[in-house]
Amino acid sequence: MNQPKSDVALFLASSVHDMKNSISVLQDSIRRNLLQAPHEQSESYQEMSQMLYETQRIHGNLIQLLTLYKFSNDLYPFHPETQELGEFIHLAVSHVAPLLTSRSITLETDIEPDCYWEFDADLINGIVVHAMNNAVHYTSNHLRLVVQVIDHALEIRIEDNGQGFPQQMLDDGIAAMRGVNFNTGSTGLGLYFAAVVAQMHGSRQEKGSIRLENGGPLGGGCFILRLP
Amino acid sequence: MIMPTPSAATSNDADFIARSSYLVIDDFQGMRSMLTGVLKACGANPRAIDTAANGPEAIQLLTKKRFDIVLCDFNLGHGQNGMQILEEAKFKNLIGPGCCWIMVTAEKTVDTVMGTAEAQPDAYLLKPVTEAVLTSRIAKIRAKKETFTDIDRAVATRDYLKAIRLCEERAATDKVNAIELLRIKCDLLIQTGQSDKARQTYEKILTSRDVPWAQLGLAKVHMQAEQYDAACNLLEKLIDDNRNYLDAYDCLAETYQKLGEHDRASDTLERAIQLSPNSHTRQRVIGELALRTGKLERAEKAFRKTLKLSEHSARKSPEAFLGLARTVGSLANPKEALNILEQMNKVFDGEDVRIKGKAVEGHVYHQNGQAKEAQAAAEQLSAMLDRGNTRHDSEAAREMAALLLVTGHQDKGLALLQSEIMNNPDDEHNLNAIKQVFHKAGLAEQGEAVVETSRQEATRLMNAGILQARAGNHLDAIGKMREAVTKMPRNVRLLLNAAHIMLNYMEQAGVEASLIREVRNNLLTANQLASNESRFVDLMARLEKLTTRTFT
Repeated sequence: MNQPKSDVALFLASSVHDMKNSISVLQDSIRRNLLQAPHEQSESYQEMSQMLYETQRIHGNLIQLLTLYKFSNDLYPFHPETQELGEFIHLAVSHVAPLLTSRSITLETDIEPDCYWEFDADLINGIVVHAMNNAVHYTSNHLRLVVQVIDHALEIRIEDNGQGFPQQMLDDGIAAMRGVNFNTGSTGLGLYFAAVVAQMHGSRQEKGSIRLENGGPLGGGCFILRLP
Repeated sequence: MIMPTPSAATSNDADFIARSSYLVIDDFQGMRSMLTGVLKACGANPRAIDTAANGPEAIQLLTKKRFDIVLCDFNLGHGQNGMQILEEAKFKNLIGPGCCWIMVTAEKTVDTVMGTAEAQPDAYLLKPVTEAVLTSRIAKIRAKKETFTDIDRAVATRDYLKAIRLCEERAATDKVNAIELLRIKCDLLIQTGQSDKARQTYEKILTSRDVPWAQLGLAKVHMQAEQYDAACNLLEKLIDDNRNYLDAYDCLAETYQKLGEHDRASDTLERAIQLSPNSHTRQRVIGELALRTGKLERAEKAFRKTLKLSEHSARKSPEAFLGLARTVGSLANPKEALNILEQMNKVFDGEDVRIKGKAVEGHVYHQNGQAKEAQAAAEQLSAMLDRGNTRHDSEAAREMAALLLVTGHQDKGLALLQSEIMNNPDDEHNLNAIKQVFHKAGLAEQGEAVVETSRQEATRLMNAGILQARAGNHLDAIGKMREAVTKMPRNVRLLLNAAHIMLNYMEQAGVEASLIREVRNNLLTANQLASNESRFVDLMARLEKLTTRTFT
């Protein structure tokens, strides 16, 4: 007998959408509780901070999945607009600020003054926040965010003072990072998403790109987003 | 410690937030208190925050009180959505230009970013709304308003040349809005018959990257030059690369219509509707296309959908009712058609709507063999025309004339069509449509003659003024032109020539306030009727020169 054929992709997308909304509500209340919690050293505070980190991770992943689904179905309204970078980074940082505070991680920013660039703010914000969340996980106690214009392109660097990326990851390059690595639990989704979004930006001469490096002033890992 | 990064919000903005009044519109109590909480955290005065759970509540509050900032959920469950509340508030003048209307949505969709709704909010904010994001957004909106207020005002008073100048000035200093300013400037250039300048700007932008709005602009330049094939190629490629650029679909559909490819035009709009099902304007255009190509079932469906979608909208138009009545009438259901016209008359006031409805009513009777009723409708229509206080476009005039001709009111119908020809003596499309009306009334031969003599009459009337001007009799020339304008108030060439002669006179003899007003009206009417007339800008500049010389 013929079963009606269900469109699994559509179910996945609508479920992701639904989950994203639930997580969003959860995230909101954790954030508010965290702001009101009195003792930064208390156990419940630390637990809540961990909860916030995890919900932010899930929320970020769900949004990336949903956005990739929209890309492939021509449903995403790609909309580049001019942004002032100081303000843009200020907002991106505000999303991770509670997490940084709760883990006593310091952040320094070095942003080219009076810098304006055209890009889709929601997409790039997603990449920067995700990269910072990731850096929070691997840093020892310090992050650095640098924004500068190099060779007619905007470069956003997120550096940490942790152990850096595994050599294998740097050798394989971005393109190889697809599918789940069951040893590390990494799906490669974040990097894949960043690479796709970067590609959507840029001029006829050069497309946007991402790359990973180790070293730099902080000696840890470094994620670089380049937008011509 | 976190090193603070600077925020664009200044102390001035903080001040504004502290003294502003707020309206929060959301159907969920939880969301309302969440948003209220965020507002308080931003520094808003808790006593200055009102909340509403739905459209009627919001409209009631907006009627009673002026709000500086409105936070409105896009999706409000049943009844009006956020967009329709904004439309109604704007339509009823409940919010001033200084009001910041922020739409809160769960996700970015084609509709929220590129919807072609007439009323756009000042910003969309994605949930979750945080204090930092909201503060920053309010600061951005205020800066933007500061940049655009004068420009919007100049456009509203149709002072296009000033608006263009302001765009240029502002773009030099306001880097965040520079691109938006350039885009608006190009739109204004096209609107004032300066396509060449717009084309140069678009082409310069497009040498380094594919910018969709510039590609769309270039297509519009082609359309204005009646290069429909070129426009078509550009738009097809644009849509291929940007599948959800709704404006491009509308433009492509228009191009196909110009090329006479009605099926392709409706296919294009059907694709746009897949992406954004809630635009009632687009549904209406689909209905009109379907009716024109004889696809009556499709037309009926589209018109019904238009009415349903615009039910809660303040911007609904009588056209959907008229279209549906025509369609249903053609489907041999006169009772339902009349019923629809009656509904329309309940919703809309005004002679302009009544007279259009009367013409449709007459046709419905005529089509369905009710000669006596058709006759009565035609007589009522004729009486309304005699009163002379209605305005109608060419299409409506043809519809009325068609009814008058088939019901034996030949003189009235003829006069109506003569006036249409004299107002548009060079518009081939309109002339052919008028010949069709004669043809259908069995008067093809007479039609050809009427078109010819009316065109000659239009030329004669205009030349009477021009000859006087050439002979140096300025005042006589002005008198003749004025006389001609009274007879052909929508003849673009005449309006421009009249303005030219009046300007010539004032440049020599000095300005007269009433004549200045007359020239301005003539020019603005001409521009409204035919925005591709390149003479408009030169004449407008001459007028401006005269007025600044005397009034400053």
